[in-house]
Amino acid sequence: MKSTRGEKIFYFVNSFILLLLGITCLFPLINTIALSLSDLQPIASGRVTFYPIGWNTDAFSMLFGGTRIIPAFWNSVVITVVGVIFSMSVTIMTAYPLSRRIFFGRRFFTLAMVFTMLFSGGLIPTYLVVKSLGLVNSYFAIWLPALVSTYNLLVMRTFFENIPDEIDDAARIDGCTEWTYLQKVVIPLSMPAIATLTLFYAVGFWNAFMNVLIYINETSKYNLTVLVQNMIQSQSLLQEIVSTGEQVQVVPESLKAAGVLVMVIPMLVVYPFLQKYFVKGVMLGSIKG
Amino acid sequence: MATGRTVPAMDPGGPNSETKRSSSDVSANRRRWKANIPLLLMFIPGVLFYIIFKYLPIGGLMIAFKDYNFADGVFGSPWVGLDNFETIFRQPQTFNVIRNTVVLSFLNVFVGFPFPILLAVMLNEVRRSWYKRFIQTVVYLPHFFSWVIIGGFVVTLFSVESGTINNWVEAITGQPYPFLFEEGSWISIYVGSGIWKEMGFSAIIYLAALTAIDPSLYESASLDGASKFRQIWHITIPGISSTIIIMFILSMGRLMEVGFDHVYVLQNSIVSGVAEVISTFMYRVGLQGGQFSLSAAMGMFESLIGFILVLAANAVARRFGKGLW
Repeated sequence: MKSTRGEKIFYFVNSFILLLLGITCLFPLINTIALSLSDLQPIASGRVTFYPIGWNTDAFSMLFGGTRIIPAFWNSVVITVVGVIFSMSVTIMTAYPLSRRIFFGRRFFTLAMVFTMLFSGGLIPTYLVVKSLGLVNSYFAIWLPALVSTYNLLVMRTFFENIPDEIDDAARIDGCTEWTYLQKVVIPLSMPAIATLTLFYAVGFWNAFMNVLIYINETSKYNLTVLVQNMIQSQSLLQEIVSTGEQVQVVPESLKAAGVLVMVIPMLVVYPFLQKYFVKGVMLGSIKG
Repeated sequence: MATGRTVPAMDPGGPNSETKRSSSDVSANRRRWKANIPLLLMFIPGVLFYIIFKYLPIGGLMIAFKDYNFADGVFGSPWVGLDNFETIFRQPQTFNVIRNTVVLSFLNVFVGFPFPILLAVMLNEVRRSWYKRFIQTVVYLPHFFSWVIIGGFVVTLFSVESGTINNWVEAITGQPYPFLFEEGSWISIYVGSGIWKEMGFSAIIYLAALTAIDPSLYESASLDGASKFRQIWHITIPGISSTIIIMFILSMGRLMEVGFDHVYVLQNSIVSGVAEVISTFMYRVGLQGGQFSLSAAMGMFESLIGFILVLAANAVARRFGKGLW
């Protein structure tokens, strides 16, 4: 079908606005990269916008040499990897019985869990529980209160429920127990949902901020988000780092930008490969609604 | 197993309360119990999680009615009735915090709502699929950034001394503008950064709904001489209206919710008159200031209002035949 002149203009304007929007989404990132690699003078005079002016990697050497960013990076990795393993195991083990029709109290348990999505004790009582369990200053205070996300649990349960009954019947006749059925049949068939939820949990733990801020007191246990937030917010801390560098000269802006990038880069590296899973996850969740 | 299937779901106390039953029923029940053992075993960690980290804190809300101190603990501290709630509404400072929470979350929900719809409709009108995919990839990206990263972006872009935005402002007006230190512009940045982060990702759900619209509708409309805007108004929007309604109701549930991270990374002392919300108040005054009971009362107030709003939203949704339960 040939488009009319009006339609051609429409398509052009539409694509153009979307392009502007795309640039808006990328611009802060581009600006940050430019700032982290620029010379002092152009940054101070505010000339750096889209690309680095001059070439200066001192911000990164200072960041890696003069701050705790490398240990914090590994802390983030530990929090994420262990957290995802805990969360996924428990989510699967909780979702599976809920998906079985023979399971006693299935409706009661589902309602009790959904209720916690609607009403919660909130920050203070949760803090008191974590404290009384003696978890303060340990990563278990990050992992355990965020162990199961009810939303993810419901997505998982719905996915398990949609496995055809014929497969179940066949497995039973072959003498399959619940555990082997879960391991050999249900999990392999649910890989798309498992991949998606793993990613949701991983993003959650990688970006964990408030819980680390609240429960972790030792600076050596900080993860990237809290460390970088401290760098961004506390001007005095920045000055201290900048002034301890003897030979090299770095402006605080450049150092902040480099810190933000260390946090963004792992995300950018995996993002293109994982995009389709995230999109799928949103769809999985919407089936139920 | 086939017999187990036909037994309707009942709570664990159920079978014992019945007096008369045939022997086949008993054996079916015994078999069902046996089949439940492995399920119950794997269910234990999840149940413990919900009891300890979800229901214990709900029980812990009782400190909102107490004068909590560490020495006496949750149970030993003296009851004070509704004193904490009275204090919240009498003190201008705490009342202000509640007002800020309501204002910021309303702006977030209502101002932010149309953007993903608009974006989805626009993406739907892109003809080259590679271009569409490219734009989608770019606009979904901010969803995965933590608020700390976005706070870093904002501080860098809007800083008075060397922020790029302020360089542009200075070039035009001759004066930099303290965006993060004026209440009006701070609120705009708060709302804007929320839209920037979630607009793309929220559009996914509408894009999915758009794929269900019959393309022949557009063809015949086009043959009848309907302009693109008329097609969007009369075909696209009605085609996704039920999704729009559901999403709108769901967003009602978030009306009392101002995420801690979002506010915390943008906050500064100069704008605390509009930027201090319940979640940051609970952190600063509750945890750091040790006023556990007062801030627990505030948290409870937030939770309760949120809960009522969800119930109300669902009641409205039911009238449209779209209730969530």
